[in-house]
Amino acid sequence: MSAIDLYATTLLVYFGVDVLAAWGLNLQYGLYGMYNFAFILFQSAGAYTAAILALGHPSNQFGGQQYFFGASLPFPLPIIVAGLVASVLGLAIALILRQGMRSDYQAIVTFVIAVMALLTVSAIIPLFNGQAGLSQVPQPLASALHVSSAGYAWIYVAFVAIVCLISYVIIRRLMGSPLGRAVRAVRENANGAAALGVNATWCRIVVSVLGAAMAGVSGALLVEFIGTWSPGSWSYAETLVIFSAIIVGGVGNNIGVLIGVFVTQIIFAEGSRFLPTSLPPNLVGSLQWIVIGVMTLAFLWFRPQGIVPEKRYCVPAAPAGERRIAAEQAEPAAVAGRPFVSGEGEQ
Amino acid sequence: MLIVPAVGFGLATASYVALASVGFTLQAGVTNIFNFAYGDIMITAAFVAYVVNRAGGGLWEILIVGAATGAVVSVAFNRLLFRRFVRHGINPFGMLIVTLWAGIILQNILLALFGPQFFSLSVSSGRLFDFFGPRGILLTSVQIISIGLAVAAVLIVAIGLRYTRVGMAMRALATNPNLAQSSGVPARKILDYTWVVSGIFCGLGGVVLALATGAFEQTTGEEFLVIIFAATVLGGVGRPVGAAVASLVLGIVIEVSALFIPPSLKELVAFAVLLAVLVIRPSGLFSLAKEGAEVAVV
Repeated sequence: MSAIDLYATTLLVYFGVDVLAAWGLNLQYGLYGMYNFAFILFQSAGAYTAAILALGHPSNQFGGQQYFFGASLPFPLPIIVAGLVASVLGLAIALILRQGMRSDYQAIVTFVIAVMALLTVSAIIPLFNGQAGLSQVPQPLASALHVSSAGYAWIYVAFVAIVCLISYVIIRRLMGSPLGRAVRAVRENANGAAALGVNATWCRIVVSVLGAAMAGVSGALLVEFIGTWSPGSWSYAETLVIFSAIIVGGVGNNIGVLIGVFVTQIIFAEGSRFLPTSLPPNLVGSLQWIVIGVMTLAFLWFRPQGIVPEKRYCVPAAPAGERRIAAEQAEPAAVAGRPFVSGEGEQ
Repeated sequence: MLIVPAVGFGLATASYVALASVGFTLQAGVTNIFNFAYGDIMITAAFVAYVVNRAGGGLWEILIVGAATGAVVSVAFNRLLFRRFVRHGINPFGMLIVTLWAGIILQNILLALFGPQFFSLSVSSGRLFDFFGPRGILLTSVQIISIGLAVAAVLIVAIGLRYTRVGMAMRALATNPNLAQSSGVPARKILDYTWVVSGIFCGLGGVVLALATGAFEQTTGEEFLVIIFAATVLGGVGRPVGAAVASLVLGIVIEVSALFIPPSLKELVAFAVLLAVLVIRPSGLFSLAKEGAEVAVV
């Protein structure tokens, strides 16, 4: 496989995986308003699940890797099970972050969960090989396809693209459906939505489970391509980067989120090209984080709605022309597309 | 029995948890901003202390330098970032993103300046004091100093908040910033004082943490932040005595539980307690109802 092929396919797979995860977080945060700093946990659960379901029984490992269970399931199964495991976690998080919890408390609860999970997985080696992590995860169908490694990589890119496309269709349909409107109503005014008979807990469970499943599948897709997964891949800062991608792109807007992921990824993947080559490598790494941080702060300050803001959804109240105009005039200032504004979207 | 020496370790752990969380609880209680960069400011103070230590500074010099660093960085963060974003009308969650990124930026500045390795402060730990006989509690003089600092910090903040004019103004701002401002409380000045005082304890906490853990790197503070959250939330946000009691309980629980579970998991006990409290009673065990408190716009 040539260097260009390797570089391009790796970048594209990462891009697809990050977009999938960011769409999942956008469902939870952008559509509903869950403040979930443990989001990376879903991706990680998916990655670990897919890894142990593809690696085979632990006793067959030569590298001395330790992990529990272990099986070698045929191709699509590890990814599907990964999504299921992540969605169970999503259900748990949805039940913990109950309605009316202050946004900063939600963030602290999930932050603590993320730190605890990282500490546990790093410390208990028989779980997922501790700090060293799992490696040598086999690529699915690599022997069955009879193609060169470059051809395989491009087929995998196409596969990731198809998964992204299917997910996009699903979340678009959800966002436009009556349920999607109900979720948005809970975000804008939880009490008002409750008065109209919207069940906020159900809405939260739906977005959380679906978002988590997408993150889980994204983790599975990544680990089956790059072959390794370790605690270094899922510190809480990774969740923050996904949040940044959403903020930069546009909270609540799927196309915006895609652009946001692209921008943050360009900084991580290509940012080092704009720096002098004489800099030590750890300085380049820190500068990339600093640039993303400053960019996020700048967007929060100058353009909190992001590059592509969320669309305003106007639903005609009644077919009669006059009442419709009255309803539009009576509509309060647009809240959609104005995230981070104090006093709105809170509780 | 090993329980008694473990309690001694617990006291030493509790002292630096208390020192840091008294500052944090004051900051979060008065400003209503949960500053996720707090742990990173702590470790910045430890790094500055490290530079002074290398240049020949002793224990008292590095404590003073650490306190000054904590205060300066805290006030700078408030003036340059946090206060401006509050005036800009950001909501509490947006503010969290701001403080989190501020912390990560600080971490990466430290990483760029010092490089990815562990550092340690070389201060003689002084002579050993043993309490309750040879199998009792054994403390070094540095540990006794850190316990003394923690006790002093709790007393200063608790008495100051209760009886001084500045303390009363802080409490007024914490309860109702609009009413306090219209009653003539100079909010901007009082909040600056809050950031200075909490920053001093933050810096002291960072230096004492660096002394206690032996080796530190730029992410040490961020990892420690969860324990500070635990002490603050358990004690009730804005309540220094509560934070101190919670630190004592957490410190002893952490060190005693290390006798029964793998030491690398000892902090999990503290986190589990925190999680249970957050989920069941988010306002903390001893707290007055503080949900929905507003952030002062100055």
